Amino acid sequence: MTDNTAPSWQQLLDLVTQLDSGSYDSASITFGDVSVQFSRSGTFSAPVRTAPEPSVGADNDPVQNASAATSADPTGTIIFSPMIGVFYRCPSPGEPPFVEPGARVKSETIIGIIEVMKLMNPVSAGVDGTLTSFLVRDHEQVEYGQALAVVAEAGTP
Amino acid sequence: MTNGQRATSGAAPVVLVANRGEIAVRIIAASRRVGASPVLAVSAADVDSPAAGLADRVIVIGPAPAGQSYLRPELITTAALQAGAAVVHPGYGFLSEQPELAELLEEENIAFAGPRPVTLRAVGDKSSARREAVAAGVPVAPALEIDDVNDVAGLGESVGYPLLIKAVFGGGGRGIRLVESAGELARLVPQAKVEAEAAFGNGALYLERFYPAARHVEVQVFGDGEGRAQIFGDRDCSVQRRHQKLIEECPAPGLSAATRALLHDASRTLMQALAYRGAGTVEFLVDTESKAVVFLEVNARIQVEHPVTEEAYGIDLVAAQLRLALGRDPELPDVPPVPPATAIELRINAEDPENDFRPSPGTINQLRWPSGPGIRVDTQLESGYVFPPFYDSLMAKLIVRAHSRDAAVAAARSAARAVVIEGVKTTLSLHDFVLSHPDFIRGGVTTSWFGPTWEQRREQEIGSVR
Repeated sequence: MTDNTAPSWQQLLDLVTQLDSGSYDSASITFGDVSVQFSRSGTFSAPVRTAPEPSVGADNDPVQNASAATSADPTGTIIFSPMIGVFYRCPSPGEPPFVEPGARVKSETIIGIIEVMKLMNPVSAGVDGTLTSFLVRDHEQVEYGQALAVVAEAGTP
Repeated sequence: MTNGQRATSGAAPVVLVANRGEIAVRIIAASRRVGASPVLAVSAADVDSPAAGLADRVIVIGPAPAGQSYLRPELITTAALQAGAAVVHPGYGFLSEQPELAELLEEENIAFAGPRPVTLRAVGDKSSARREAVAAGVPVAPALEIDDVNDVAGLGESVGYPLLIKAVFGGGGRGIRLVESAGELARLVPQAKVEAEAAFGNGALYLERFYPAARHVEVQVFGDGEGRAQIFGDRDCSVQRRHQKLIEECPAPGLSAATRALLHDASRTLMQALAYRGAGTVEFLVDTESKAVVFLEVNARIQVEHPVTEEAYGIDLVAAQLRLALGRDPELPDVPPVPPATAIELRINAEDPENDFRPSPGTINQLRWPSGPGIRVDTQLESGYVFPPFYDSLMAKLIVRAHSRDAAVAAARSAARAVVIEGVKTTLSLHDFVLSHPDFIRGGVTTSWFGPTWEQRREQEIGSVR
């Protein structure tokens, strides 16, 4: 599986740094079964691996989250599901969600919970930044390693 | 049938395959055979496995270590719910004999392709299995449980030497120690207790009489779960190394009609008493000196070596398991005690037999299987597949059937020589050695035959090089 392993987040960051110092407008890279797309102008189709059920727009929609930030960098850290189960955005039915898209999160901020056979497991952001979007719906069945949400990391000054 | 099923009118019922490797491939094929849709639960290491490519859907349940994926009943049950499964087939190993999975599934009204949880508990630990066997009149070896690890001399005397120290909650040949004398016993028992606590979470031990010249013979049973049990002959699995089976055959060669009848009748009685549901195996030792037959254990699952029985009788045990779990007739015929053909299975492991059977994971570069009359290969290998280091080393089973045992041994030897697996070390050389050895060709070797015979061969080879 050595030639077919998912890249680590560090490898992706290194890649972004390399591309950023070049003169590329957009790039599309495939590692095994993971494909990553980068763009400065922010017009490409869904950039996430193991395409979750499309929760927002279809392919021809421009990326929504770029407009919120002053920095036009559309990349972010993907929060992957640590387990198989059902994803919930709210602490319990009727209560407001843990976080809404656009909210600032810290590494330890809980962004949702995953239920496995009636056991509730909190999922934290893992990085500091702005949670730009959820990639799965509330109450959706998720698998281990599935992309749950994107956090735009707090930029370096 | 007592299994619960989900309503599956119209659409094909879904079978969740809760295992990996060659048995996952086998269960996927059986699912298609019975008209069901196979969904495979995988760890992150097996997402791209050949078995995953064959399933209708793949659900990732956890990371590579089995303790965080294949060994977690709640993750398997969650995957079964996500898949909308009517049946979960656990294969062998992993959770196949754990009542926890069967119970969780029962609560969700999903059928388990195996015995009821109560049966798994009854035969799951060795002392309770032994009690069930004794109650059903099945012959057992003299054995005694240890109460006080510092006072075992009396127990050793009553069991008789040589004897084995075994963990009550042990399995798969692990944690077994051979003891020749009272002095050795006093020294080894406290050590074995510590090890059993570490390995099995319970330090309970017992002493059992050891038969140094015994064969491992087992009986294949299929129960309807309501007190009827069919017998599908016997298998000899005596070619073993450190209690791990290497070669199996059906039928067991050279058994007298009386011994065979005793084995089959005892197995039927025991499984009927348990109202056993589905495929199961009753294992025995047959002492070649005294001809005594003693019960070892019940394997409450499909076994690695089930194909020799399938080939010798022309049946499909895995499909039968699925049919029964789906509430259908398993479609198994009544068969004679001795099958019309002989089948031999060779386990091909990713291990180096010239190097103390060290595991040898890696990339499979070249792969070629033999073909011809009576040849079957159960495997997950594909050219280019990276055989992972996380799980057991079984790569493939080569099963060869012929009209007589002599013909089957010759055909198996020829087929084994035609196998090409490049990129990893394999146990193919040991198969050629065993299938060419006069003792094996004669039939009826004991479980202690292979180890020293293989070592002797190596010493001779090293000697001839000098």
